[in-house]
Amino acid sequence: MPRVVVTGLGLVISNGIGVKNAWDALMNGKDGTAELKSFDTSQYKVHRACEVKDFKLDTVFENETTANTIHKYTYTAAREALKDSGLSDVSGYDRERFGIAIGTLAGELPPFEYLLRKAPEDKANGFDMGVALTYPPSSITTLLSEDFGFEGPNMVSLNACSSGNHAIAWALDLLCEGKVDVMLVGGGELIPQTEFTHFHNLKALAPEKCQPFDKDRKGLVIGEGAGIMVMETLDFASKRNANIYAELKGYGMSCDGHHMTAPHPEGAGAIKAITNALSMARVSHEDVDYINAHGTGTPLNDIMETLAIKSVFKERAKEIPVSSIKSMIGHTMGAASAIESVVSCLAIKNGAIPPTIHYKTPDPQCDLDYVPNEGRELKVNCVLNNSFAFGGNNVTNIFRKF
Amino acid sequence: MNKKAVVTGIGVVSPLGIGHQDFWQNLVSGNSGIAPMECLDLSKYECKNGAEVRGLNTEEFLGRKGLKYLNKGTKFLGSSVKMALDDANLEIDEDLSNQTGILIGSSLGNFSQTTDYFHDIVRENPSELSPMQSYDVALNSSINYASVVFKLKNFARTISSGFTSSTDAIGNALKLIQNGKTNVIIAGGVEQISLDLYMIFYMRKMLAGANGTGSEISMPFDKRRSGFIMSEGSYVFVLESHDYAVSRGARIYGEVSGYGSVFAGNRNSDMGKRVEKAGNAMKKCIDDAGLSVGDIGLINANGNSGKLSDLIEAKAIKELFGERSKEIPIHSVKSTLGESYGASGAAQTASALLSIKNGLVPPTINYEEKDPECNLNIVGKKLEKEVNTVLINSFDLSGNNSCLIVKKYE
Repeated sequence: MPRVVVTGLGLVISNGIGVKNAWDALMNGKDGTAELKSFDTSQYKVHRACEVKDFKLDTVFENETTANTIHKYTYTAAREALKDSGLSDVSGYDRERFGIAIGTLAGELPPFEYLLRKAPEDKANGFDMGVALTYPPSSITTLLSEDFGFEGPNMVSLNACSSGNHAIAWALDLLCEGKVDVMLVGGGELIPQTEFTHFHNLKALAPEKCQPFDKDRKGLVIGEGAGIMVMETLDFASKRNANIYAELKGYGMSCDGHHMTAPHPEGAGAIKAITNALSMARVSHEDVDYINAHGTGTPLNDIMETLAIKSVFKERAKEIPVSSIKSMIGHTMGAASAIESVVSCLAIKNGAIPPTIHYKTPDPQCDLDYVPNEGRELKVNCVLNNSFAFGGNNVTNIFRKF
Repeated sequence: MNKKAVVTGIGVVSPLGIGHQDFWQNLVSGNSGIAPMECLDLSKYECKNGAEVRGLNTEEFLGRKGLKYLNKGTKFLGSSVKMALDDANLEIDEDLSNQTGILIGSSLGNFSQTTDYFHDIVRENPSELSPMQSYDVALNSSINYASVVFKLKNFARTISSGFTSSTDAIGNALKLIQNGKTNVIIAGGVEQISLDLYMIFYMRKMLAGANGTGSEISMPFDKRRSGFIMSEGSYVFVLESHDYAVSRGARIYGEVSGYGSVFAGNRNSDMGKRVEKAGNAMKKCIDDAGLSVGDIGLINANGNSGKLSDLIEAKAIKELFGERSKEIPIHSVKSTLGESYGASGAAQTASALLSIKNGLVPPTINYEEKDPECNLNIVGKKLEKEVNTVLINSFDLSGNNSCLIVKKYE
């Protein structure tokens, strides 16, 4: 079976645009949380979010609004990742063997929201030609395919907060089957008022900041952005002397089959996802030296995730550093696990792990090493990246130093 | 060595009937499911026809509990999963629960409920909306619901790729079975008619009769065609590895044996490129099944009555099949069923499996005025014919072209 490696990375997140800026911000514990600007929050109890700041794009797309879109974020991150991997120009290759998979939770909802807010009496007012063209989530991958000349399989993964990892898993399978040579993968998300309201009314939003694993954690902070990776078979990468960040060793999926919104209290689904990932990756408990947590900062998730890690890794659980970058960039929903995959590759490449910021008071039920407040230099060989979505939809993937 | 993937259960919620028996009966009889739409107020718009699901008694399949919180798409999917599991005589016990995944294609999922929720948000005080109002509004919540109700704990995945969504989902499920990832997957597609779906097609002038360009009739490959008629429904299959199905003595409808997908582009693609890429998708799929063009006995066409899309498909078939393109029977279920968007590949798969089982090809109704540019062997009247190997085409003008092969189980 072919081995699959990551050769290019791209990031657009609330504390930095571009991989270098974003990595420096993450390692320095820079919080991307600020007053939410894209819509009026005066009727809500929460007014903060992790929005991407100072985003500019030098390309103009047809039929798109001046507002930020997932297409613009993913395009920017994809362009960076392709340049990084040396595949900015793909014209010399069999492009039907170049595919795309992107995860999102809500798709391009804000342009519709923007129109309907101006004329709320009739829902049809939310549609114009631009919205009609970009509204189907598949526009995210078809537009990227056009932008970069990819002609292989493409799909959007609609799997809530594990959308990004589902897309990566799908791409890994295609590469292993030998059907494609290169996959552009990742996730993109905006902050629709709809999702903000959804989380707000479920009382899942923290008023000020996201404090994963802290005793006083009050919920998640909603975020946006994009994370993109170029994945390819080792053969293909070797032939063109590509720079390799890491090897994607495997994934594990599971489904709680328990409840539409709450996670399984004992983390049964999470345990299964982690165990399946270790098994597919042929990695032992001892090999894992960093866990990039789902760590949303909600009371239930963080206890469940801690339980699951302890259940799988037993005594070793306390030795493995576990951090949540959601403390800095918020919960970017469908993009989260893709952004975290990019960060996992960077941890391996750079020999360092980002912290969990806003960590003050230990919670007896969350008793692992959460890399509190300070980033850490650490030789990282093997990272486990968790994503556990609403509906108990879980995907964990494993990256290893190449 | 790849494992074989076979279909052992079919669940259908469609405008042509609830359950695969009614669906098939109406499909082969050429009974149309198309009529003026009742679920939308279209008084302001010129295109009014659609193919709506009628007469679904959800309670029969999902019981009464919690039903009032469920949206239309969730009811469609939940009911069709239940039918498919019953049809396959598959009881999900604890062991099977951990092995069984669900993999569904849907272009919009529950998007229209998401936007209905937003419509409430802008008209009311959003912080006073009940959390239960957002219970079933995630794009993939119908799939989450099915995974919870039927205890499908291996995985739950939703694929959105426009018109090819469920073709890609079934293709993905095929690969997961072939590669030995799991033995049982509930695979298929769901799509629901909504104002949202209507607006994206209406604005893009893709519907039959838009702009006064013709009558509101679905007439695939006919010279007078002017666009498609929107449809809805859910089509779900129990896909199993061959060995597992045999070991439990399951009845087998047929084998899914090939999948291929190629992107043709849209903005900068001329007719030549679109035809070439549609042909390449068919070819990749046939290769993937280990077959050659000569093995294909029936084409279950994308043919949705779109002016451009039918022409591209006809040209691509002519180029790939050469002289045989005049003989090989081609039909489109969309003449009676309409275009069910992300669910259409799954609807076509149901039809293909039932063609194989019953030795019948459903008619492409309204095929009266031949288009010289689409001079293929379009099956206009129900055809009795032994069917062994079916090529299913699923093409999207936004660029995706995906195909499946379904064959007789021997």
